[in-house]
Amino acid sequence: MPDAIVLRGLTKTFGETIAVRDLDLVVPQGALYGVIGPNGAGKTTTIRMILSILLPDRGELSVLGRKSAMEAKDRIGYLPEERGLYRRMRVGQFLAYMARLKNADGAGLGARIRSWLERVDLGGVELKRCEELSKGMQQKVQFLAAIVHRPDLLILDEPFSGLDPVNQRLLRELVDEEHRRGATVLFSTHVMALAEQLCDHVVMIHRGDKVLDDEIGAIRARYDPRNLLFEPLDPAADVASLARLDGVGLVRKDGAAWDIRLAPAASPASVIQRVAAAIPPARVELRRPSLEDVFIAIVRDASAGDDDATLRAAVRDNGDGRREPRP
Amino acid sequence: MKKILYVAQREFIATAGTKAFIFGILVTPLVIGVLILLIPWMSRQDPPAIAGTVAVIDPTGQVTAGLAAFLEPARIERRRQEAYQRIQDAMPSALRSAGGMSGPGAAAGQEAAGSMLGKVPHLTVVSLEPGADVNTAKETLTSPAAREGAAGRLALVVVHPDAVQKKSGAGRFGTYDLFVRAKLDDRVIEEIDDGVRDAIVGARVGRAGLDRAQIEDLTTVPKASSKTVTAEGEGRTNEILNQLIPMALMGLLLMSVLMSGQYLLTTTVEEKSNRVVEVLLSAVSPMELMVGKIFGQFAVGLLVLALYLGLGLIALLSFASLGLLDPTLIVFLVVFYLLAYFSVGAFMAAVGSAVNEMREAQGLMTPVMVIVMIPWFLWMPISRDPNSVLAVVLSFVPPISNFVIMLRLASSTPPPAWQTLLSIAVGAAGVYASLWFAARVFRIGLLMYGKPPNVATLVRWARTG
Repeated sequence: MPDAIVLRGLTKTFGETIAVRDLDLVVPQGALYGVIGPNGAGKTTTIRMILSILLPDRGELSVLGRKSAMEAKDRIGYLPEERGLYRRMRVGQFLAYMARLKNADGAGLGARIRSWLERVDLGGVELKRCEELSKGMQQKVQFLAAIVHRPDLLILDEPFSGLDPVNQRLLRELVDEEHRRGATVLFSTHVMALAEQLCDHVVMIHRGDKVLDDEIGAIRARYDPRNLLFEPLDPAADVASLARLDGVGLVRKDGAAWDIRLAPAASPASVIQRVAAAIPPARVELRRPSLEDVFIAIVRDASAGDDDATLRAAVRDNGDGRREPRP
Repeated sequence: MKKILYVAQREFIATAGTKAFIFGILVTPLVIGVLILLIPWMSRQDPPAIAGTVAVIDPTGQVTAGLAAFLEPARIERRRQEAYQRIQDAMPSALRSAGGMSGPGAAAGQEAAGSMLGKVPHLTVVSLEPGADVNTAKETLTSPAAREGAAGRLALVVVHPDAVQKKSGAGRFGTYDLFVRAKLDDRVIEEIDDGVRDAIVGARVGRAGLDRAQIEDLTTVPKASSKTVTAEGEGRTNEILNQLIPMALMGLLLMSVLMSGQYLLTTTVEEKSNRVVEVLLSAVSPMELMVGKIFGQFAVGLLVLALYLGLGLIALLSFASLGLLDPTLIVFLVVFYLLAYFSVGAFMAAVGSAVNEMREAQGLMTPVMVIVMIPWFLWMPISRDPNSVLAVVLSFVPPISNFVIMLRLASSTPPPAWQTLLSIAVGAAGVYASLWFAARVFRIGLLMYGKPPNVATLVRWARTG
């Protein structure tokens, strides 16, 4: 079974700016991949190259076993970041048009569209004009347009941006559903927390370079947690005294809880035992590094100019710090 | 190919299926037709005839009587009848039947002509003392009482003493002055003016001892209308239609090209500005999208062309003048529509893809519009002299060539066949160049947002694309 997407040494520049540099990426069939990185990292450019909407300056790619996405367009579903609808077109007509453009105009297209609309709580809007829908409803229609032809490869560029929590959840379910059906899913997001919840493999891009490409589990293992989260059962307990224990490095207050840094080479298991024995805990656990922490750890050196707060803001839900330069 | 057809189909429906289009294309001619019927009816409902007096200061004593006779309502009415008859005789039969001026329509036509001239005025001529003071007489024109009723003063005619007989030693006759009150109907002024001059001429002729009726007889030659001799026989030369048909054909060509080109520009800008374009590009290639859109609007333009051509043919048919239109002209019309549309339309698509909103398109469109309008401005010289150097040279400059050669083909002296063929070849080359340019600009422009490009940017894209 060939891999769904193979990129080899892909490079794209816009004038002086290098949008993507020497990118290698392999997405196996049936995988659920997240491409993460702050806005302006090169995610959209990468996706557009995968889809042959932009042509790379250098490098090779294959999509669904073809030399170019052009040859496999009908098997790909794409939800661009800048997505639109024909405002004057009726919802049903728009979806049927998109399906026809993907050569999926077989019998029962109308019924399929109706059932999809019902699935996303949009039953009965088929005859409405797109401009009559609310923004959230339009986003659902746009997502349906990407999957109405049952693609083998689903590419979503920032699919969750601008959605309210209820619709984010609905969209996550739909993406999951497509994945379970067997579709390979590649989506991009600048919100690391979302990628963490949804995908099993992440590719991190920063300033055009791929800085990480691994399974979520493997990433967590690699960025070995060296901190404990500690809450004493008795709030008055002298937690600071834990610093004297063997294997404990730094102890500092972190909100209502305490953060305990492990000493170099100390084993987490033995330190947890010792800490729990010294002060009865209400809660003690290894801090799992979030993707955000991993991202900060990776790019800290490269981004001398940006402090951690700026970097963190750029990879959170409302972090629209930088806009992607449009090619 | 199937995708191109889907795109074209959507483009056609999205344009020709809108209320605005149906209204503009179908309803407008209908409204014009209704208005043509309504306007004569409405203008018949006009105010009562003008009545009043015309004062004359006539030192010669020979003009007043002639003027009074000239302004008698019965005489005015008779003159109008004669004028109407002259117009009708001079008019080609085709136009006469168009205006419903023969058979049962004649009365209506006459009535329409009557309503254009206004109701016959009732003018009474009042003779003032030959030595009366002109300034005092003029004052009557400004007094409020002068405006009211049949006795109201409308005008003052002051005949010069030497109007009928030259002063000794003078080379020319004298003339007259005409003073009128404010806001007097210009048709009444003209009537009075004509009357004074007619009366003066009558007086001069009488004084010279000549018979006026005889002079008029001697100086009148009815105008003959030329007859066109063709292999089928001879027919009345239809000067008006002979000029109208080339102009109508070129106008039709220009209208459908500009209309569908404009639609193409609008829909492309719309797709880009509402960001639907990237969704489309994941399904079709930029080339498929562009070609589909161009074909869709091609069909729109063809529909417009067919509708108006059909209306024109029906009109010609009802005038029994269908023979005036050579059927090959219709074939040429379609051929040159195709060439003109594809060269102009492709450029429109390129511009549409390059800009972010309609406003930005205007700057890029102006040169195209000016170029396309050139044949329209040069319509007169080209149709007068269809084989002049100007006309021949412009026949080989795309995209103008398509319009110019159409005008020449429909003219009275069509160009030689080699020029037509060369023009088609040049037009086809223009289409190729335009499509080449558009394809390259389109691909880059569609995903380019931000600073609106200028022509130099487009050229750079085309060269690097």
